[in-house]
Amino acid sequence: MRGLAAMLGKEWLELARSWKWLWVPLVFILLGIMQPVSYYFLPQLLDAAGNLPEGAVISIPLPSGGEILAGTLEQYGIFGALIIALSFMGAVSQERNTGTGALILVKPVSPAAFVLSKWLAMAALVAASLAAGYAASWYYTVVLIGPVAVGNAMAGAALYALWLLVVGSSALMFSALWKSPAAAAFSALGTFAALALLTSLFPRQLAWSPGRLPAASRELLLEGAAGSLWPTVAVTALCVIGSVLIAVRAVRAHPAD
Amino acid sequence: MKPLLTAEKLVKSFGGVRAVDGISFAIGEGRCAALLGPNGAGKTTTIRMLAGLLRPTEGRIAFTGLPERSDIRAHIGYLPQSPSFYGWMSGREYMMYAGRLCGLRAADAKRTADELLARVGLAGAGRRRIATYSGGMKQRLGLAQALVHRPKLLVLDEPVSALDPVGRREVLELLKELKRETTILFSTHVLPDAEELCDDIMIVRDGRIVVQGSLPDIRERYREPVITVRTERDEASLEWVKRRAGKAGGPVVSALPFEDGIRFAVSDLDAARRLLLREMADEGVKVARIEAGYSTLEDVFMKAVST
Ligand SMILES: Nc1ncnc2c1ncn2[C@@H]1O[C@H](COP(=O)(O)OP(=O)(O)OP(=O)(O)O)[C@@H](O)[C@H]1O
Ligand SMILES: [Mg+2]
Repeated sequence: MRGLAAMLGKEWLELARSWKWLWVPLVFILLGIMQPVSYYFLPQLLDAAGNLPEGAVISIPLPSGGEILAGTLEQYGIFGALIIALSFMGAVSQERNTGTGALILVKPVSPAAFVLSKWLAMAALVAASLAAGYAASWYYTVVLIGPVAVGNAMAGAALYALWLLVVGSSALMFSALWKSPAAAAFSALGTFAALALLTSLFPRQLAWSPGRLPAASRELLLEGAAGSLWPTVAVTALCVIGSVLIAVRAVRAHPAD
Repeated sequence: MKPLLTAEKLVKSFGGVRAVDGISFAIGEGRCAALLGPNGAGKTTTIRMLAGLLRPTEGRIAFTGLPERSDIRAHIGYLPQSPSFYGWMSGREYMMYAGRLCGLRAADAKRTADELLARVGLAGAGRRRIATYSGGMKQRLGLAQALVHRPKLLVLDEPVSALDPVGRREVLELLKELKRETTILFSTHVLPDAEELCDDIMIVRDGRIVVQGSLPDIRERYREPVITVRTERDEASLEWVKRRAGKAGGPVVSALPFEDGIRFAVSDLDAARRLLLREMADEGVKVARIEAGYSTLEDVFMKAVST
């Protein structure tokens, strides 16, 4: 893995210089806070709208803390995945298209390190953003709504971390396979949206698929159990590793345009 | 001559097109060699195969004179035809990054970066973002980053073509200096650059090497008597040039027209001169200048890349 440390430093710096270290976690935090805050203020909002008949009593049952956090994670599963895919859709192809990668890969470095540095930066951004956003959401949920079961809330978030990681990894893989960043983002998001949809249609047959992660996380938070998750987790981990390996092969076979 | 690099029967096809069509050469250690050829000759394709960015369709590249089993990339410095950098980095940051990638420790990378930036005349701009650099500055940064690991072989793709006369002069002088320290292979489409710097030249055309050898060698080998005629641009003269083009016979071996005249390669200078002067007088050609002598490298080059 020659060059890994230096390349990781470069990826890190690039995330900072492009402000991604700031705005990606910020979006996650906003999405996270919105859930508890909007539920908390919902009755007042309806009240203020004021077009209810005189004497009508608004009684919307406040959702449980677990439900709020499940809602937050669902947002991350969609918008978070979108942001991650868009952020990394050109990770490799842009370096090829502009020619910056050629100048790096003619140096005595390993193509695996080139890909891995990008993957590690992506994983770090996912982890940091999810942690920051989820912590904010959790805090406001506890303050405004009510307590949550700590173990399940952690496990539910871990499943979404895996989900974001597998989407990000496949965006990275497609960016190494295809010239167009837009095509790479579309492929990554399309693949996993389709997978989630199929898994919800055939839950029994596709219980092992990464598409089960969102539903499993929700079940954990709402019902406290989601059955055995090891097959799903193992298959997802394999998808992540496979994506990285395919990307490395693509870079090795085709370092420059 | 001990070769540092040997290329044997290199072929690169893109789809059905053979961009490089069986090129063989050897570059001696410490020599400076030029790949000389017109646009589309296959220079960039050849160089990218040497740098390891393209896999040859056929053929072999061997670095002799390098330690066994070492990563050959550690011994090559490469400058692409139009280098692109991370615009958000400063020139100095990029140089340090390049140094680290080549295995230098941070402190060494920093020192090397400053040395090389000064050497290519970028000391003052080192802390500016590369996005603000001019084309010439990027070219010089490209050269600096190719030198960061003191490579045994420098491979430069048209290092001066994109520069203005001043920048070109500066880079040529720099290359003259570098030539004393390392082996250089560079491509160009103009002869004077090659003539000024090189020991060896390879003239490429349509993916093949058509002329190859050391400069004095080529001068000697291709030396032939020539007569160059420049005419005015009136109808009779242009008509004659057109008719004469490509027509050999008698003492005339070949006739190659150019913008305002025609160049004859001849076997007997005196006989040809007599023949042509008489012919031009008869046809009413308005001669502006006539010159008889021996072919220059320019003639060899023009002949090799035209027809
Ligand atoms: N990736 C590619 N796909 C298809 N054809 C290519 C590719 N790269 C080069 N070619 C073709 O190969 C031939 C040689 O191109 P190359 O870039 O090596 O020429 P060159 O000698 O460097 O020319 P120039 O002086 O214009 O830089 C050209 O006809 C070009 O169109
Ligand atoms: Mg070229």
